[in-house]
Amino acid sequence: MPYAVTLKWRDGRETTVDVRETETVIDATERAGLGVPYGCLYGACATCTGRLLEGDLVHVKRPRGLKPRHRQDGYFLLCVAEPRSDCRIEVGAEIQADLVPNPWK
Amino acid sequence: MSTDEPSESTDVHGHEHHEVEGPGYPTPAAMRTGSEREKTAFVMSLRVGMDVDGPDFVGVVDVDPDSDTYAELIDTVEMPNKGDELHHFGWNTCSSSCHAEGLTRDHLIVPGQRSSRIHIIDASDPRNPAIEKVIEPEEVFEHDLSAPHTVHCVPEGKIVISMLGNADGELPGGFLQLDQDDFSIDGHWEADRGNMEMNYDYWYQPRHGVMISSEWAAPETYYPGFDLEDVEAGRYGDSIHIWDWATKEHHQTLSFGEEGLIPLEVRMPHNPEETEGYVGAALSSNVLRFWEDGDGNWDWEKVIDIEDREHPDWDMPVPGLVTDLLLSLDDQYLFFSNWLHGDVRMYDVSDTGNPRLVDQVWAGGNFGDRGAVGGHEIRGAPQMLQLSRDGRRLYWTTSLFSTWDNQFYPEIGEQGSLMLKADVYPEEGRMELDEEFVVDFGDAPGGPARAHEIRWPGGDCTSDVWQ
Repeated sequence: MPYAVTLKWRDGRETTVDVRETETVIDATERAGLGVPYGCLYGACATCTGRLLEGDLVHVKRPRGLKPRHRQDGYFLLCVAEPRSDCRIEVGAEIQADLVPNPWK
Repeated sequence: MSTDEPSESTDVHGHEHHEVEGPGYPTPAAMRTGSEREKTAFVMSLRVGMDVDGPDFVGVVDVDPDSDTYAELIDTVEMPNKGDELHHFGWNTCSSSCHAEGLTRDHLIVPGQRSSRIHIIDASDPRNPAIEKVIEPEEVFEHDLSAPHTVHCVPEGKIVISMLGNADGELPGGFLQLDQDDFSIDGHWEADRGNMEMNYDYWYQPRHGVMISSEWAAPETYYPGFDLEDVEAGRYGDSIHIWDWATKEHHQTLSFGEEGLIPLEVRMPHNPEETEGYVGAALSSNVLRFWEDGDGNWDWEKVIDIEDREHPDWDMPVPGLVTDLLLSLDDQYLFFSNWLHGDVRMYDVSDTGNPRLVDQVWAGGNFGDRGAVGGHEIRGAPQMLQLSRDGRRLYWTTSLFSTWDNQFYPEIGEQGSLMLKADVYPEEGRMELDEEFVVDFGDAPGGPARAHEIRWPGGDCTSDVWQ
């Protein structure tokens, strides 16, 4: 049975996609044509960063692009993350920009 | 002879030393004086890290002032996949291939920095390029490499690409070699990596059998964004590497320490007799000169130091961030960009150890007083540079790297970046922003895009090397 994963953009848009067993969130969003950003597809670049709001999401490969503090704050790399329950995830390019602010500012 | 026409008419050149025809120019002076004005620009254009649901593309910009579509994006070659982060690219052949018969400068090698996918584009008609072949990431990962960066055609029918990581996006990087005939992967270029782990850009001087490579960081470090914690932990580069071009072995490391943090672009003079060059250290905001000391070993010195500046709204003094530099084809002028400050500088390097600042243009950035050109808000600041072959027009784009853009100039990620131009007067040693030329990639078909590296059909001063 697929899980219902609700994606929430910061502009207020929300949509729900079915994510199959053993399918990454990015694979499901691509299948559905939802335009969630991604880059390397192997957990190194963090372009696909999302923030888990509710539910159970697990990394199936090591998310090299995230630091421990990011993981503690609920950030996931959606190219190597699969749901284990229905989820709500904040997505969009702005989420990645949360990870590393301008250090001089 | 035009260098901007379909390649059939451009592949025959005389050669003053050898009875061989090839795809380039026999000397840098021949390229500088014998080629016509650029008419077309290829520009890397990205959608990575934006809420624009589309692939990256190679943009074709009309730079012919006599054309009705001057300063417009006249074509886009979309990549077959999303998420590539097209960054730097290069030609299948250049002037270094002048001893190779039957080759034509007609294919662009276009890697994806994030995807590790390598696209081969047939650009024999510069105004109608098309994808011919795609090397998928899995084929690259088989060689335990990722994150392709600098592409140079090299003698003996090969193409060498610097690779910044291993198949997991960790260190070490290396060099991938392709065959010029069918664009198949040969394997690693290097025979012995020595203590080189980090990689970025490289330049070579075949006459002296030397190659110089620089250092950014591991892909997993720089991909997500710039974090000072990573600098403090030593995860960013501070060295360049000297390689034996013939044996492909690592020969020497020059470590700069605090003076040379994040050494990015490496440029050596176009004169193949020279045994020196420059590298821009982005974070230290220095330009360093390196040279061969006569015993086969290399030494270095700092020749330009950009002072940090206090910004009223920022907590810490802001470095210039020297992100790109280039040398004119006559090797007289060095240009570089300060991406965080917002200026592009022109130095006379006739006395190579004593560069003399001759002019500076401010456009955008955090300190520039010019915030718009031709009614277009400047998003970002001078970044990737390209000079016309005759040294009279300097073009630049304003985007650096998707995640770093989103940190320092978030408006680029929302509205795209720009391509701008300054007119250069080499005889007078000055330059002037052309207020009439602006290409706003915010208006790109399909949505805003980030504009990055620029190349001309017919070759340019950052891709051609002479034997």
